[in-house]
Amino acid sequence: MGVFPTGFKTLTRREILRFVRRPRNTFVPPLITNVLYFSVFGVILGDRVGQIAGVPYILFILPGLVVLGAISNAFENGSFSIFHGRWNEYIHEALTSPLSYSQMVWAYTLSSALRGVIVGIIISVVGAVFTSVGVTRPLYLVAFAVVITVLFASFGIVGGLWADDFDDLTMMNQFILRPLVFFGGVFYALENLPDGPLQTATLLNPMFYMVDGVRYGFLGTSEVNPNLSLAVLTLMAVVMVGINTVLFKRGFGLTD
Amino acid sequence: MTAAIEVRDLRKRYEGVQALDGVSLTVPEGSFFGLLGPNGAGKTTFISILVGLVRKSGGTAEVFGYDVEDDYREARDAIGLAPQEFNVDRFFPIREVLEHKAGYHGIPADEARERADEVLKRVGIYEKRDTRFDWLSGGMKRRFVLARALITEPDLLILDEPTAGVDVQLRHDLWDLITELNDGGTTILLTTHYIEEAERLCDEVAILDSGRIVAVDSPEDLMDRGADRIEIQLRNPPAEAPTLTAGEGNVENVELDGNRLVVTARQGGLVAPDVVRELDREGFEIVDLEISRTSLEEVFVEMTRGQETVGGEDEDSGEDDPEKATAAAPGTSGGAGGDR
Ligand SMILES: Nc1ncnc2c1ncn2[C@@H]1O[C@H](COP(=O)(O)OP(=O)(O)OP(=O)(O)O)[C@@H](O)[C@H]1O
Ligand SMILES: [Mg+2]
Repeated sequence: MGVFPTGFKTLTRREILRFVRRPRNTFVPPLITNVLYFSVFGVILGDRVGQIAGVPYILFILPGLVVLGAISNAFENGSFSIFHGRWNEYIHEALTSPLSYSQMVWAYTLSSALRGVIVGIIISVVGAVFTSVGVTRPLYLVAFAVVITVLFASFGIVGGLWADDFDDLTMMNQFILRPLVFFGGVFYALENLPDGPLQTATLLNPMFYMVDGVRYGFLGTSEVNPNLSLAVLTLMAVVMVGINTVLFKRGFGLTD
Repeated sequence: MTAAIEVRDLRKRYEGVQALDGVSLTVPEGSFFGLLGPNGAGKTTFISILVGLVRKSGGTAEVFGYDVEDDYREARDAIGLAPQEFNVDRFFPIREVLEHKAGYHGIPADEARERADEVLKRVGIYEKRDTRFDWLSGGMKRRFVLARALITEPDLLILDEPTAGVDVQLRHDLWDLITELNDGGTTILLTTHYIEEAERLCDEVAILDSGRIVAVDSPEDLMDRGADRIEIQLRNPPAEAPTLTAGEGNVENVELDGNRLVVTARQGGLVAPDVVRELDREGFEIVDLEISRTSLEEVFVEMTRGQETVGGEDEDSGEDDPEKATAAAPGTSGGAGGDR
């Protein structure tokens, strides 16, 4: 029987199998995109940019690209799985079963987070081909990877519950995720920005702390205290899972 | 003994539509219960509240004593539902879909696999086990959702129009199957537009119309509420229809059609001997006698006709033509005894 109830394990397994069995839709695209990113930003542009925050540019952007891939896949998986299940109503199979609401939420969250982590690993491996990156702080790296993918899987689930059609999903990706990513310190360091609104915006962006923390895991350098980042992000993730559990209980987007 | 379903003053309001308007109903454990009603009467809404797919706006609903909201896990575990609209996972072959459903209900993987094979064989689509739901034929899809409802071995099996659009063979297979389950103690709640189905299978029938229960009774007793037809052929017919005193007020109408006297009466079987005796006393010579029982369909149409529409904003709900709903059923005109 194990620690986890069969119902929870089955739903989690179902969710994982769904993306594992279609690697062409789930793992190949980020692989290709990131080979391109590393080639263009790292190899071609990198030499001109030179060092940033004390490391070669290609090494500097690696953690950012890992975060970008991990969270957007966690988000996409959460939102798609919930929305598609609602659209075709097969989410009823889980909803009409004796799973508790928090079991349902954790199953969807953890499976989506896992997809994010796997994509993060794929990108790290691609990065290792292009650079001499190592993992300086493995425990921090694992902790940040889990927390940020859980957080964005949770955002994805909210999006999947809220969306009314497929366009809504695209829109969330374009107008929420992308700006967060591009103004979140993936491609530049805080010290590169002039004092003023741009710096403030970056500091208010949770993405900045995620990238900074993961950068700490890989390179051992960070611009803010990684413990603080980890604590705040963990709190956010826990709150989001809680919110999703309430939404499931209320049937938001799920029941008439 | 706790009832399989116990519902008090259940209400559901959708935007602009009162789908359930104070439904109170008890479905005894072990019964074979029919829920009838014209399109839009609220049958699917009623069922969906029990499994948690629709939130009630008022009243209480319990399944085997478990409140559908407070004790949702126990209530849902007791129910197997074959829904009206297909809601099947399209990513996986059907056998895996069944294994997943079983797993959600806590059935361990090995047993889930065994049960999946077993129910697929039981509904006769085992050879399609590795196919995805989308590639099944319409009738096979119906069979599949039944298999999915059965895999958890529910104490309460709910079938929402299980025989809509299926061939005669499947319909009979399905009847045999659910009768067998009912004999084994499973409570069955069936909604259908085929009155013949309800007459044949159900111990008890509730008629729902515009969100209200208009009658709950056994099919036989419901039919007793409708008028039967007694046709008597006379060798020496009178010039006009005689007035009959027999039948203690059950006789509703007497008509003469050539040499045939047509008597309309409730409980025709009981009234007929008295009528025959009276005619005999009056000196009529009876050549032939035929009694046709009213069908449940006729009673149903009668009861749901001209009811004040409650959820009437919705044109499509079709409350006013229950005939249309039942007309599609082949063989229903035969009625209860098929003795017309
Ligand atoms: N999700 C919904 N939103 C708004 N109105 C709804 C919804 N579902 C059902 N209704 C309305 O509620 C009423 C009852 O519908 P319901 O599906 O329960 O009827 P039914 O008895 O199952 O009908 P049928 O025999 O056609 O299956 C109808 O007027 C219907 O239009
Ligand atoms: Mg219905």
